[in-house]
Amino acid sequence: MKQVVYVAWRYLAYHRWKTITLVGAITLIVYLPIGLRVLVDQSSRQLTARADATPLLIGAKGSPLELVLNTLYFGSDHPALTRYSEAMRVTESGLGTPIPMYVRFRARGHPIVGTTLDYFDFRGLEVAAGRNLAMLGECVLGSRAAEALGAGPGDNVVSSTESVFDIAGVYPLKMRVVGVLDFADSADDDAIFVDVKTAWVIQGLVHGHQDLNRPEAAAGVLGREGNRVIANASVVQYNEITEENLESFHFHGDLSDYPLTAVLAVPPDQKASALLQGRYQSDEDLAQIVTPVAVMEDLLGTILTVERFVVAGAVIVGLATLATAALVFLLSLRLRRRERLTLFKIGGSRLAVASVMASEVVVVLASGALLAAGLTLLTSRFGSLAIRALLRT
Amino acid sequence: MNPVVSIEALEFRYREGDFRLGIPELAIERDTTTAFIGPSGSGKTTLLNLIAGITLPQSGRVVTEGVEVTSLSDSERRDFRIARVGLVFQEFELLEYLSVLDNILLPYRINASLRLGREVRGRAGDLAERVDIADKLDRYPGKLSQGERQRAAVCRAVLTEPSLLLADEPTGNLDPVNKWRVLDILFDYAERTDTTLVAVTHDQEILDRFQRVVDFSQFHEYGERSGAGP
Amino acid sequence: MALLLALVGACGEAGSSDSAESVGEAGAAGEVGVATGAEGSTLLVYTVSYPLAYFAERIGGERVRVEFPAPRDVDPAFWSPGPETVVAYQRTDLILLNGAGYASWTDRVSLPSSRLVATAAGMADRYVVVEDAVTHSHGPAGEHAHGTIAFTTWLDPTMAVEQARTIRDAFARARPQHEEAFDEGFAELERDLLDLDGRLSEIVAADSARALLASHPVYQYLAARYDLGMRSVHFEPDEPPSPAMWRDLRGILEEHPARWMLWEAEPLPATASQLRELGVESVVFSPAGNRPDDGDYLSVMEANVRRLATAYGDTPER
Repeated sequence: MKQVVYVAWRYLAYHRWKTITLVGAITLIVYLPIGLRVLVDQSSRQLTARADATPLLIGAKGSPLELVLNTLYFGSDHPALTRYSEAMRVTESGLGTPIPMYVRFRARGHPIVGTTLDYFDFRGLEVAAGRNLAMLGECVLGSRAAEALGAGPGDNVVSSTESVFDIAGVYPLKMRVVGVLDFADSADDDAIFVDVKTAWVIQGLVHGHQDLNRPEAAAGVLGREGNRVIANASVVQYNEITEENLESFHFHGDLSDYPLTAVLAVPPDQKASALLQGRYQSDEDLAQIVTPVAVMEDLLGTILTVERFVVAGAVIVGLATLATAALVFLLSLRLRRRERLTLFKIGGSRLAVASVMASEVVVVLASGALLAAGLTLLTSRFGSLAIRALLRT
Repeated sequence: MNPVVSIEALEFRYREGDFRLGIPELAIERDTTTAFIGPSGSGKTTLLNLIAGITLPQSGRVVTEGVEVTSLSDSERRDFRIARVGLVFQEFELLEYLSVLDNILLPYRINASLRLGREVRGRAGDLAERVDIADKLDRYPGKLSQGERQRAAVCRAVLTEPSLLLADEPTGNLDPVNKWRVLDILFDYAERTDTTLVAVTHDQEILDRFQRVVDFSQFHEYGERSGAGP
Repeated sequence: MALLLALVGACGEAGSSDSAESVGEAGAAGEVGVATGAEGSTLLVYTVSYPLAYFAERIGGERVRVEFPAPRDVDPAFWSPGPETVVAYQRTDLILLNGAGYASWTDRVSLPSSRLVATAAGMADRYVVVEDAVTHSHGPAGEHAHGTIAFTTWLDPTMAVEQARTIRDAFARARPQHEEAFDEGFAELERDLLDLDGRLSEIVAADSARALLASHPVYQYLAARYDLGMRSVHFEPDEPPSPAMWRDLRGILEEHPARWMLWEAEPLPATASQLRELGVESVVFSPAGNRPDDGDYLSVMEANVRRLATAYGDTPER
C-alpha cells in the first residue's frame, strides 16, 4: 500500500499545477460557505456580546440603530442629542444607575467618549498604565488608541474640529493623557475617554478665562471691539486646561440642559428594567428607550439574510465548480486509460491499479477538505480580529 | 521436453467482429527464441495476451510455466503475470510521470505479492548499467530517446526475473541502430538467464536471429479472405 | 458576588482601598453602585467641608471613617485639590457634598456619581440667591468669585439637621446592619443642632429689628433663618480694608445703621478700632468651614452663640 501511495504521489507531483488548481478549487468550494458561516457567526456573537452587556439605552427619539451604533461602537455619526436631564430622570426614578454618554467629537480619527467613572466599572475596564480620570481636561486612552496615537501618560492629545466651517465655534482642546487602559477586545480599545464635562468643554459650553486673551494667541486675533475678540480662523489654536486656569472653568446655565448623545441605564433587575422601559412609552416623551440586543438582532437579522444569499450563491458556484472538477477527473481518467491498461498487462493487482487511478481524485479531495478544515479553524480563531481590523481602516 | 507454453484446442473470438483464432495445438520449448509472424490482425498479439493470461479464450487450455492460466481467476492471473512473465511493448508504455528508475521498479509497487527491497534496487541498478542507461535513472521518459525508453522498458520487464519474456513488436518504433541494440539486449538476456523469448514482429530482417518462426496465417479464419495470405 | 468580594476585601485591613476595591469589583460584574459591606467593614466617607465631616462622625461613630483632606489654612469653599487627592475621593465608599454650589471644584473633577451624596439636595427651594456676584481679589489664595447662590447652608441649624438626615439615610443604605446605631447618632446630633437653633432664636428675639453687618457675605442662611437685617461688605479678618472698602461701608451705614459686624475670625486690631470709630463693634461668628484649632463644630457654634448673646445682651455703648 505504501508503494501505491508513492506512485500516486509521483503522479500528483508531476502534474503539479493541475493538482494545485484542483486542490485549491476543492478547498474553496468547501471552505467558503463554512468559513463565511463561522465568520458571521463569530462576528454576530461578538456584536451581540456588547449589546448583551448593555441593558438599556436612552436617547432622543430617532433611529434606534444610530443610537446603539454610536453608544456601543462609537460610530462617527452621532444621533440627535438628548439632555443631561434624562440622566437625572433615571436617578430620580430609582430604577437604575444612569451613565451619561457624549460621543460626538474625535481626535485623529479616534472617537472621544465623554462619560463618567461609572462607565469603566460597568465595562470592566482596568487601567494598565497611569491612572483614571480625575481632573477636567484629562483623558484616558484605550489600548489600541494609545498605540495608534503613540501616546501614554504625560502626553497630550488634541481633539479635531467638528467641521471645516467651525469658525466661531469649537476650538480643539488639548487634553492631557493620564492613563491607558488594558486591552478589552472591544470598541473601547480605540476610544479616548474623557469626563462628560470635558466633552462639554470641547463643545465650548464650559469655558474658562484663557481663550484668545492669552498673549500667545495674539497672532490669531484680528481685532478687539470692547469685549469682543475677533479671531483669525485660519490660525490653529487649541484650548487647554492647566493647573493655572482650571479653577476658572465654570458652567453656565442649568446642567440639566447640557447635551448628551445617550444615557446608558443599568437597572438592578428585570423588574426595574421593565418598569423603567414602561416610563418612556408616551408619544409626547422627547426621549426613547431601546434595548440594544433587540436592535442588534434586527440588524443581524438583515445581515444573516444577506449571508444566507451569499452562502447560497457560494454553494451554487461550488456545485458548478465541483461538477467541473468531476469532469476534469473523468477526463484525466480517460487520458490515463492506456496507463491503466499497461499496469494491468504487466500484472498490477486490481487494488493497486484502481488505487493508482483513483488516488488522484482521493488525494485532491482529501487535501482540499483538510485545507478547508484548516482554514476554517484559522477563521474561527482569527476571523473576528481580521474583520475588526478591516472595519477600522 | 517440458514446454514453457502449451496450448490445446484454443478457440478465441472477440465479442464484436468476425475475428476468430483457433489453435488446435501449440507448444513453445523452454529456453528458446520464437518469433510470431503473420498479417496484421492475424491474432499474434492476441496469442501473447492469452499466453500471459491477459485475456481468456472461449474454450481451450493454456498452460504457461506449468500453470493452467485458463483456469485461474483474474487476480491470480495478475499475480502470476507480474512475477513470471515479462512484457515488452511496441510503444514502450513507460509512465511519463515516473523517473526511469521508478519505471523500472514499477512491478514491485503495483502488486503486493512482490516486495521492493534493497536487493531489488540493486538489481535494477545493475540492469540499467548493463543496458547503458545508468546515468539517466533520474530522468523522466519524456527526456529520453526512443532507444533509451525501450531499454528502460526492457529493464522493467526483466527485473522480476521472469522465465518467459513476451515482446510485442519490440523494435517496431526504433531506428536501425537502436533496433539491433535492443534486440541484442533481449537475446543476450534470454541466453544468459535461460529465459524463453517469444516476440511478435513484422520485421523480416530480424527473423534469422530466432530459433523458430511461427506463421499465424495458419491459425485464423476470416469471414472473408482479405487477400493477405501467407 | 458583591458580598463575596466585599468579604475578601474585609479580610484584609478594614481599610479604605479594600472597601473601595470591592465597590470597583462589583462594578466590573456589570453592576454599579455602593457595595453593601459585610459585618465589620468600616464605611469610608470623604466630605467637602468640615461641618459635614463633623455630622458624619457624630452619626456614624465607630462604624465610619471620615476624611476631610483640605489643608487647615484654606477655605474649603474655594479649595482646589490636586489629582492625587481627587483619586483618594474616587476610592471611598461615600462622598458627602454640600450643595448650593459649595466646593465648585467638584464640578471640575470626575467622581463616581453613584457614591455622591448631595446633602442639601432636597432643600433647593431654600437656597438663597445672591444678587450681586462680584469678582474680587484678595488674600493669599488670590482671586476668587462668589457664585449666584449662597452656599453656607449649615449655618441654618434646621438646614444642618436636614443635611445630617440625608447623611444618615446614605449611611443606612450602605450599611443597613448598622441602621439603628446611625439613627441614634443622628438623633443626638439633631438634639444638639435644634438646641443651637432654639438659643439663637431666643437671642435674636431680644432685638429682632437690629441691623447687622457681615464682614463677608457668608451669613445668608443665618440671616434667612432668624430674619436678620444684614448687609455685607467684603472685609478680610487678616487684611486691612482699602479706602474704597471703607467708603462702601460708610455708604452702607448711612442707610443701614448697624452697630455690630460679624467676623469669620478675629479681625485686625486696627480694623476693629477703626470700626469702633464708626460706631461698629466686632463680634466673631465663625462659619466653621474648616477644622478649628481647638474643639469641634459644636464647640465653635456654641462659642459663636455665646458671643452673639453677649452682643445682643450688651448695650450699644461699651
